[in-house]
Amino acid sequence: MEVKILTEHYDKPEFQGLDGYKKHGGYETLAKALKLKPEEIKNQVKEAGLRGRGGAGFPTGVKWGFLPENGETRYLLCNADEGEPGTFKDRLMMERAPHQLIEGMLISAFAIHSPKSYIYIRGEYFESLRIVEKAIKEAYSAGLLGKNILGSGFSHDMDVYSGAGAYICGEETGMISSLEGKKGQPKLKPPFPAIEGYLGKPTIVNNVESLAAVKYIIRDGVQAYRKYGTEKSPGTKLFSVSGNVMKPGTYEVPLGYPLKDLIEVECGGLKPGRKLKAVIPGGSSAPVLTAEEAQRATMDYECLAQMGSMLGSGAVIVIDDSNCMVDLLHVIMHFYHHESCGQCTPCREGTGWLDKIVSGIHAGTGRLQDVQLIEQVSQHMMGRTICALSDAAAMPALSFVEKFREEFEFYVREGRSRVKEVVANA
Amino acid sequence: MPKCTVNGKQIEVKPGTSIIEAFKEAGENIAHYCWHPGLSVAGVCRLCMVEIEGNPRLQIACNTMVQEGMVVSNQSDKVKDAVRWGLDFHLINHPLDCPICDQAGECGLQEQYMEFGKYEPEMAERKVKKRKVVDLGPKVVLDSERCILCSRCVRFTDEVTKTRELGIFNRGDRSEIGTFKDRPLDNNYSLNTVDICPVGALTSRDFRFRQRVWYLKNKETICTGCSTGCNVKAYYNEDGLFRVKPVHNEDINGYWMCDEGRDIYKFANPEFRLKTARKGTQDHWDDINVVEAAKSVGSIVKTSVDTDGAGSVAVVLTGQHSNEEYDAILEWINGDLKVDQVYHWVNNPEKFDDFDGLLLRGDRNPNTKGLLERLDARKLNKTWQDFETKLKAGTVKVVIVVGPENPAVYSDMGEKVQLINGVDKVVWMSACPVGELNTMTGTTWQIPLKTFVEKPGTYVNFQGRAQTVKPVTFLVKQALSVVEAVQLMAGEASKVELVEPEHHPKKNYFVYSRGPL
Ligand SMILES: Cc1cc2nc3c(=O)[nH]c(=O)nc-3n(C[C@H](O)[C@H](O)[C@H](O)COP(=O)(O)O)c2cc1C
Ligand code: SF4
Ligand code: SF4
Ligand code: SF4
Ligand code: FES
Repeated sequence: MEVKILTEHYDKPEFQGLDGYKKHGGYETLAKALKLKPEEIKNQVKEAGLRGRGGAGFPTGVKWGFLPENGETRYLLCNADEGEPGTFKDRLMMERAPHQLIEGMLISAFAIHSPKSYIYIRGEYFESLRIVEKAIKEAYSAGLLGKNILGSGFSHDMDVYSGAGAYICGEETGMISSLEGKKGQPKLKPPFPAIEGYLGKPTIVNNVESLAAVKYIIRDGVQAYRKYGTEKSPGTKLFSVSGNVMKPGTYEVPLGYPLKDLIEVECGGLKPGRKLKAVIPGGSSAPVLTAEEAQRATMDYECLAQMGSMLGSGAVIVIDDSNCMVDLLHVIMHFYHHESCGQCTPCREGTGWLDKIVSGIHAGTGRLQDVQLIEQVSQHMMGRTICALSDAAAMPALSFVEKFREEFEFYVREGRSRVKEVVANA
Repeated sequence: MPKCTVNGKQIEVKPGTSIIEAFKEAGENIAHYCWHPGLSVAGVCRLCMVEIEGNPRLQIACNTMVQEGMVVSNQSDKVKDAVRWGLDFHLINHPLDCPICDQAGECGLQEQYMEFGKYEPEMAERKVKKRKVVDLGPKVVLDSERCILCSRCVRFTDEVTKTRELGIFNRGDRSEIGTFKDRPLDNNYSLNTVDICPVGALTSRDFRFRQRVWYLKNKETICTGCSTGCNVKAYYNEDGLFRVKPVHNEDINGYWMCDEGRDIYKFANPEFRLKTARKGTQDHWDDINVVEAAKSVGSIVKTSVDTDGAGSVAVVLTGQHSNEEYDAILEWINGDLKVDQVYHWVNNPEKFDDFDGLLLRGDRNPNTKGLLERLDARKLNKTWQDFETKLKAGTVKVVIVVGPENPAVYSDMGEKVQLINGVDKVVWMSACPVGELNTMTGTTWQIPLKTFVEKPGTYVNFQGRAQTVKPVTFLVKQALSVVEAVQLMAGEASKVELVEPEHHPKKNYFVYSRGPL
């Protein structure tokens, strides 16, 4: 069952503007937060067990705790790049409820003593950009941004930065480079951004959904937030479901929700006559689940990790039996090849190599050893690079070949897709 | 001082030492391309993989600091497998250029593949095609296909010269090194990028295709291009010198040298040298044996002192020679003959104290300090003005010039020749022919000198640091060092032996042309 916490008023157009937002209790939580001690907010976020919604699922409160104690200027950076193929929940959050994000950011910024934040929005999202910019203006006019916010003594400035549309700018250090006006390329860690980030200053990068969720933790309290989800994955999560379902879209459900129900109940199931073949549960970089695994999966960090996949950015891609896995992997590999920033050799060369191997199979010129080669190349790309893009390419490749090996082997032997034929003959 | 164990060897390192440095200190081999001790850490080639005890994931040694008690190794199968594959990733788009590549023989890719490689290539796909023979600037040529994108060259222009001409353009396996449209790689340190490029992607226009490197021998010496005294290796064979490259010396030049300094080898090569002694006046010159020439010059000087007094002889010295050479000539001239008219020819007084901020100094002489120390010790602190006055007065009958070894930095050569033109007897010792001498009205001897690579000697750089070098090779048979010339002139029982340059042409020898100077 959907639980609308973050998305409660998303069906009301007025929620986008400041007045409409205020009508539904907007900025009341900010007023409440500004009366607390920053330390208390941090603790509540930690206790609530909020895990980052940008992909890695790292506990938000713990990340904030990495900031140095000294009084150095620190930045808050909202990751609204949303580059993971299949993901489109941040866009909904920005377009339906920009003030909810601003409020969440203000509370977070107050908690970490940050005087300045940026929202990094992917270049293709012009509508989001326009709406968020407008909301920031409104917030400034209403004294919700700028000096001495709501008479609390806390001052904060917020700005929007539009990316040029590179997937790698979603990676936190790539984003920082891009924001600094450099080529969007990830930086070596350590040092981590919390110690040395934007302009060399401590910086916290959080996803849109993570920041918005902060508001609800402060509004409703730790216990209320923890009512949803599981012990290790508390709260609700927005899933953007695409692929072969009747009603693709963004759905907010408690973490731990069965994937089967998400597909059947929220998304209205598959198209008539189709059978479930596979599900990518967390964006194109997440290892694919077979139909059987999908039946058992619950949408939380621990269950999916245990199944060898991940929750990632919460992009559920549903694949029915009319799809050819070679075809899909071909598209995915092409994407990662195109998006590798090119710094690390295993990623630069590996993504290109995988793309070529899969393209070869797809074009009917594959060799039998290619299937095994995909596995070998992927294995040697994993965990060997500056950022996780290399893994993001390797994981789907590896899981596709492992779980749908005969489909790949058939393609190599016959030079054509088995699935297309089955579908055509059906 | 943290202790650690590297491949089973216990060592102690300075705090803040990276694992890769610890490997170097322990004398253990470790594959790497992007790390360079003179540059920041990029961590991109991913070859310096190590296993750290207690850490399930492999780490890169260049960006991981040694911690107390750390146990690291690159000997496990897991690491070896990672490195083999890492090399294969480097090679899948690398062209099969080795037979025609200038770097063959000293290529990091060849060497590391021999040591760590997989030997079973799996890449069956078409390689990415990139640009070849790209002029990055006047001195450096790029072959993009060979580039392994280690970013050393980019970091060099960012961090060392701070000129930032280079960048990596595009992304993924379409990435390429390049310059901005209107900003070529044109700084006085650009050839260092060629040295640090681990593959044949960046080549020196001066050196490329001139010689296969396995035909070259090398010895360490110093650059005599300016008063910094960068430590270098000179590469040579029977045909002469082909290039110089910097040798690390933290106290003097770090890892680098300037492009101008790299050209000094040219002035040492036979085609640019004065090969025999000559005697003559204006347009008539005769070649003479150098030993005879030096001996006769010696008696002329002695006679002049005996008949017209010590004031009839003057000596002009440049800062281009070694302490030993100065000592020899001063001992004879001033010690024995009591001549005190010894002058210091400063080639570019207005730029003498310049410094480009990195290495190159306005004083383009390797041993000005050594010379001044010696002149001071003998109280021979005569001004150039004094010399000119004496010349005008006509009291000077014999002038000995120990002329520059590198004429390129002596732009006032013609002027100085004109100044002494008219003196009865001029003895001009230099490694290179001095065309301006053809106008001399008095009797003139030219004595061919050895260059810095052909003689032992000590040079004192601008910091006062004395560096002693040994001969690298012999290039011109009749050339003498100043020490040898003075021995002959002073009539000492001669130890001088003219050294035959090596020459044993090989069959199928690589045909080269060294190109214009
Ligand atoms: C290649 C790559 C792309 C990424 N893209 C995004 C993105 O589009 N949006 C996002 O929030 N996080 C993205 N991330 C994750 C971020 O690096 C970072 O972990 C996240 O923004 C932290 O926010 P959170 O703690 O709130 O999840 C990406 C990571 C990688 C490796
Ligand atoms: S893993 Fe790929 S995308 Fe990430 S820094 Fe390395 S080359 Fe760039
Ligand atoms: S040109 Fe050479 S030094 Fe520069 S990045 Fe390529 S391989 Fe490295
Ligand atoms: S700085 Fe001076 S000594 Fe060093 S390479 Fe250049 S000319 Fe030679
Ligand atoms: S030397 Fe460490 S990654 Fe290149």
